[in-house]
Amino acid sequence: MWRYIIKRVFIALMLVFVVTSIVFLVIHLIPGDPAMLLLSGGGVDPAPEVVDAMRRRLGLDLPIWTQYINYVTGILQGDFGTSFQDDHPVAEEIAKRLPRTIELILAATALSILIGVPLGILAALQHGKYVDRTLALGAGLMLSVPVFVTGTLMVLLFAQELRWVPAGGFVAFSRDPVQHLIFLLMPAATIAIGFSAAIFRMTRTTVLETLKRDWVRTARAKGLPRSVVIRRHVVRNAMGPVMTVIGLQMGTLLGGTVLVEYVFNWPGLSGFLVVAVESRDYPEVQGIILVISFLFIMLNLLVDLLYSVLDPRIRLE
Amino acid sequence: MLNIDAKYRNILPPLIGVALVFLLALLAPFITGHDPVHMSISERMAPPSMEHLLGQDNYGRDIFSRLLYGARVSIAVALFSALSAGILGITIGIIGGYFGGIAELITVRLADIILSFPPILLALLIVTILGPGVETLGLVLTILYMPGYARVAYGETLSMRQLEFVEAARALGSPTWRILALTILPNILGPLIVQFSLTVSSAVLIESGLSFLGLGVVPPDPSWGLMIREARAYMVYTPMPLLWPCIALTITVLAVNSLCDALRDFYDPRAVSTNFLANLAKTLIYAPIAKDYSQIDAQKAESALLSTSGLRTEFVTPKGRIRASNDVSFTVAPGETVALVGESGSGKTITGLSVLGLVPEPLGKMTSGQVALRSKSDEIICIEELDDEGLQQVRGDEIAMVFQEPMSSLNPVYPVGEQIAESLRYHRKISRPQALLTAVDLLESVGISDPAKRIKDYPHQMSGGMQQRVMIAMALSCSPSLIIADEPTTALDVTIQAQILELLRNIRNQENRSFGMLFITHNLGVVAEIADRVLVMYCGRIVESGPVSNLFRSPAHPYTKGLLASIPHIDHSSGDRQPLYAIPGTVPALDELPPGCAFAPRCNLAIEACVQELPELEVVGDGHWSRCPRWRELRG
Amino acid sequence: MSEKITSLFDGLNRRQVLKTGMVAGATALMPGFIGRAKAKTPGLVVFGLSSYPPGFKPWENKGTASTTVKVQQYRGLLGYGADGQPRAELAASWKVLAGDKFQFNLRKNAYFHNGEKVTSKDVKATYEAMAAKDSTARLRSRMAAIKMIETPDDNTVIITLNAPDVTFIDIAASPHCGIVSGKALAADPKNFVGAGPYKIVNIERGSRIELEAFDKYYKAGFPKTKKLRFDAFKDENLRVAALEAGDVDIIEYLPWQAMDSVGKNTRLKMDVVNGPFMYVVFNFSKGPFQNPKLRQAVGYAIKREDVIAAAFYGRGNVLGGIPLQESSPFYDTKYQNRWSYDPDKAKSLMKEAGHANGFSATLLSTAQYGMHKNTAEVVQQNLAAIGINVKLNLPDWAKRVSIGNQGQYDFAVMGSAGDFNDPDALTKFMDGSLAASYARSYGFKDARISELFAKGRQEANFEKRKVLYAELQQRALDLAPVIPINWRAQGYGYQNYLSGFTNIPGFLTFFSGMVIENIEIG
Repeated sequence: MWRYIIKRVFIALMLVFVVTSIVFLVIHLIPGDPAMLLLSGGGVDPAPEVVDAMRRRLGLDLPIWTQYINYVTGILQGDFGTSFQDDHPVAEEIAKRLPRTIELILAATALSILIGVPLGILAALQHGKYVDRTLALGAGLMLSVPVFVTGTLMVLLFAQELRWVPAGGFVAFSRDPVQHLIFLLMPAATIAIGFSAAIFRMTRTTVLETLKRDWVRTARAKGLPRSVVIRRHVVRNAMGPVMTVIGLQMGTLLGGTVLVEYVFNWPGLSGFLVVAVESRDYPEVQGIILVISFLFIMLNLLVDLLYSVLDPRIRLE
Repeated sequence: MLNIDAKYRNILPPLIGVALVFLLALLAPFITGHDPVHMSISERMAPPSMEHLLGQDNYGRDIFSRLLYGARVSIAVALFSALSAGILGITIGIIGGYFGGIAELITVRLADIILSFPPILLALLIVTILGPGVETLGLVLTILYMPGYARVAYGETLSMRQLEFVEAARALGSPTWRILALTILPNILGPLIVQFSLTVSSAVLIESGLSFLGLGVVPPDPSWGLMIREARAYMVYTPMPLLWPCIALTITVLAVNSLCDALRDFYDPRAVSTNFLANLAKTLIYAPIAKDYSQIDAQKAESALLSTSGLRTEFVTPKGRIRASNDVSFTVAPGETVALVGESGSGKTITGLSVLGLVPEPLGKMTSGQVALRSKSDEIICIEELDDEGLQQVRGDEIAMVFQEPMSSLNPVYPVGEQIAESLRYHRKISRPQALLTAVDLLESVGISDPAKRIKDYPHQMSGGMQQRVMIAMALSCSPSLIIADEPTTALDVTIQAQILELLRNIRNQENRSFGMLFITHNLGVVAEIADRVLVMYCGRIVESGPVSNLFRSPAHPYTKGLLASIPHIDHSSGDRQPLYAIPGTVPALDELPPGCAFAPRCNLAIEACVQELPELEVVGDGHWSRCPRWRELRG
Repeated sequence: MSEKITSLFDGLNRRQVLKTGMVAGATALMPGFIGRAKAKTPGLVVFGLSSYPPGFKPWENKGTASTTVKVQQYRGLLGYGADGQPRAELAASWKVLAGDKFQFNLRKNAYFHNGEKVTSKDVKATYEAMAAKDSTARLRSRMAAIKMIETPDDNTVIITLNAPDVTFIDIAASPHCGIVSGKALAADPKNFVGAGPYKIVNIERGSRIELEAFDKYYKAGFPKTKKLRFDAFKDENLRVAALEAGDVDIIEYLPWQAMDSVGKNTRLKMDVVNGPFMYVVFNFSKGPFQNPKLRQAVGYAIKREDVIAAAFYGRGNVLGGIPLQESSPFYDTKYQNRWSYDPDKAKSLMKEAGHANGFSATLLSTAQYGMHKNTAEVVQQNLAAIGINVKLNLPDWAKRVSIGNQGQYDFAVMGSAGDFNDPDALTKFMDGSLAASYARSYGFKDARISELFAKGRQEANFEKRKVLYAELQQRALDLAPVIPINWRAQGYGYQNYLSGFTNIPGFLTFFSGMVIENIEIG
């Protein structure tokens, strides 16, 4: 068991390393000289010697391999570098923004589980009946609306027409908890629309599959009340695959919140990446991708491990 | 059209939907005369008119034509990327799966690397490097979807590699490329087609998302994402230009998604169908339950532990309604073991389940007949009249059941002790620790050593025999008066079978556990060892019943006789096995039963009357009945 | 039939129907427990920025949002008032001693945020640091043109240039020329301590910057409001929504499509001026537009009213000549309205250039900013009408800048403003003697134009300057180094209860952050 976990973690870390290296190389190939860009604000004409000075300051004059080795050495020491734009430490900024994205993902996930799982169970138990059909149809629809469409329509409706909530933005929880949650509400709900539908479908399918299992018949033959059979012998068993799907989806959300953060002005990590790429802030881009892919890979690993906890049959070897 | 197979019928509606979208896109120039990029600034934001069905946008361009041409872009990008990713991914996947080694390493790891980026971020990075445009989109999506195909193809190929016909092709000296392209590929096509439809749906979404961010299709070419982006600027003032592309996008994705669902159902029949309409309609045609108490043999019912009469259980199948058990009447006396014998599909298991009200609904249902049980408190319970709660009280407490496959009949996620204790907790209303203590005793009584430790084991940590012992302990937990054992030894090794039979016999012989048993089996050898009386079922009906010794000695039905003849005997003098007798012909499908005796087509004694009319049960001896009109000739 | 349908739609107000439907749906979904956002808070100005500033270093130009924020912290010797004229900041007064010699008399009550007094030595240290070889200051070349900085006493600075330059007063007033503490700078070259009206107290990087009035600010009674907060709204819809909802008191870059509704809203006001302008630059080193006739053809083919209507929702003015404001003393109608919509003339010019059947070219713009993209789309359509097959290249802004600086395009849409309202600001668009820039046509070099710019800069006599600039304007029209399209309306929107704010006219609109200190709430 432990050997297996260590091996998996090792492979995951190797993967992170490869990903980081690829990103490093790729990003240095992107056209658009950051030094030039930094000095070109407002349509001005930076003198070549100024651009050179800036390149030296940013360390871009060094050969790419030297830059790469410096970067990797830095990472190993926990130093992600500083922003090209204002020398702000990248690690600090990521540390600040990552929790916001995670918060958004967690809020959306919680909301989606609260909606998707009970409805999925309900639909499965009412299989083929009116309730099931209606719910399945609704889920199909919800899965098909892109997040930027729902997001945009929600801003239009709730913020601009009805004026119930602010159109978007962010306040730190420590400053104004209520306002913070209000800001969180719309982006989380937007993600939850598609996500809860996915969870609903997965739950429904798995519960239906589980209902056909022999042990459910055994439980019924034991004379257990219907509610107990469903709770202990259907739902509990169905949760393994459902949790896997939720976990994998959460991983995708790590970057997938890009559109939602864009639409709602939520200052999270993936929105940050868009800005960093736009301004060619190499240390920021690298740092963010490193962190996101690290989390993504680790989350997938965690899902695998969690799965084995939920289902004792799965042996980790 | 009407003769289309049901499973194709489910694919048809989403297929038509997708085809419609494709057709609209393809025929855009013929549907609308407007150029999607032609501006007419003086008519900006014009409302819908006959000329411009959906009005005009900020540049005075015709929104309807932009929608149609936008579909072209979306579909072209999606199809191109799904195809190119498919070709690349499948090639890599098949090669990796077939050859293993380095190819495998590259396949799996390459896919891993690509899959360790959240998709939209990867797209974002590539678009930034290459600049936006339809070409870039195609490339981005190809890279993005390749691993998906590679993984599916890899996994499927891996499982195909060792199959006989692949081995055969290899042995025949087919060149490798031929095996890959002509033997393996066609056989893994199903999952790949599903993957293809998933990819198309995802590609439409990512294309629109990137265009929405300004990183996709380059203006002025129409794209739904781009239209939404542009209309978003003035949505508060003129919302309609925003809503049209939103609706078009949603409908398209919905159509492709439902096609994915339908395809998945089609290629993976094990999966639970999302297409439930057909089943629903069929569940509505059940016949009402007929109540007819006159058939109950009052005298028998009084002395019997269990008595069924005219029991009929029906199932809905795609081919219509079938009677899995039909007019089944029998009794089990206290302390008696009755064997219910028949080939698989004869209805014996369904009969057992009907007694407990466990027929799998909604497809199956007991539609007529009575089941009467003498309870431990000596009352007669009419099981078919019980509601859910009443049934729960009977199950486990009055009647317990032991199933065929102990592995799958135990819940894998709970320790076995918990599962035994459950019954006690609900019927005896005792606490969990108490119930667990009882479970230890029960495990000991079914011959499991170190029971206090084993109750904490999970089912998968036990052997099949042990699992079946657990099942028996579970059945015994509330001291039921009747145990229904459904092929309890079939799934086990021969030596284990003997041990379990031994166990059942021993338990039965203990004074304090005097229960009746309905022993369901296809194995007449087992019957001889354990049963007092035998019921032989064929195609849902009891064809012969009688005391085990009489029935074995002089069977009164040609089917029984055939069954007895097909038991393998070992000639002890020579040690050779005699050639096995096999009943000629095959068991007819339940939906194609002849009007008369179901066995008639396979029976060499059958006469015209057998074929025309269902024979009645006739008394052929003491407590011995047969449904064959020619039993005398048979014995004679 | 057609009439009937139209009238049907007239009678049925789609927007109303839609609204009612959506509201009904939404009300069913969600109880209205979430209260309305905030109302005004006296003592606090909330300013909606168009993006989160990429940095606040005093001398670098990082766009409007950055400028707006940094002028709260840093002030130069001079600044601009609401009328667009240079005004006293750290210097209480100034004197032009000669064409190349300027004297600034510093205020005696000016302090840096660290409590130090502002002295002439700080000015010298600042200007020298800006001029340093590795300096990344926007105005480095201007500072490098200083021959000598004398500091006879703590409150007097005398600056001598290498050559006469009448625009130096504008340089001293530029927001990119903020004076910082020399001592702090000597201790740490990254530590910039300014003397502006506000101090940053808290930063929520990426979304919010909070400032507090500096209690020792040199202008008594200013800033009028003690607290100032910048909230970044990159999305223009969100920015307007925040303004309309009362989440913010004032926003910059009021989107053109919102000007109608903001103008009609009785709770809101707006201040819109013609600031920057949109134009087309050409590649002079390769491709078809080396031929002046084809540049002129573009000038006649663009339907400027359409650009204004489609890209700026009717907000702006046609610009058919030299981009000088009407208020400029060098403005002359003679050099205006040269380019008008005349497709026939454009086609005959194409014919003369040997392209009677048209040709293909790539137009560079960016998808990142709607106005650039929209302008390019209309230009593309206009040029298609005279037979030029235009392919759009719309990368993100960073790549567009890089492509522009390296001249990898045929022609490009650009929008920009000069650094000040003096005609010398046009060097940015036409002076080929400067380093290559995406704001200018790549490879355009004209010795006479560069010479005229240099002479005009050095000439103190107004009448003589006028003659020089007259020649320059005529030559610029003939050579067509850039083709102008339109003046772009640049607006601020704010709440009715806010007073004291003015949008500084002309190119200086982007420096309006300098008057935030005048804002009062209530």
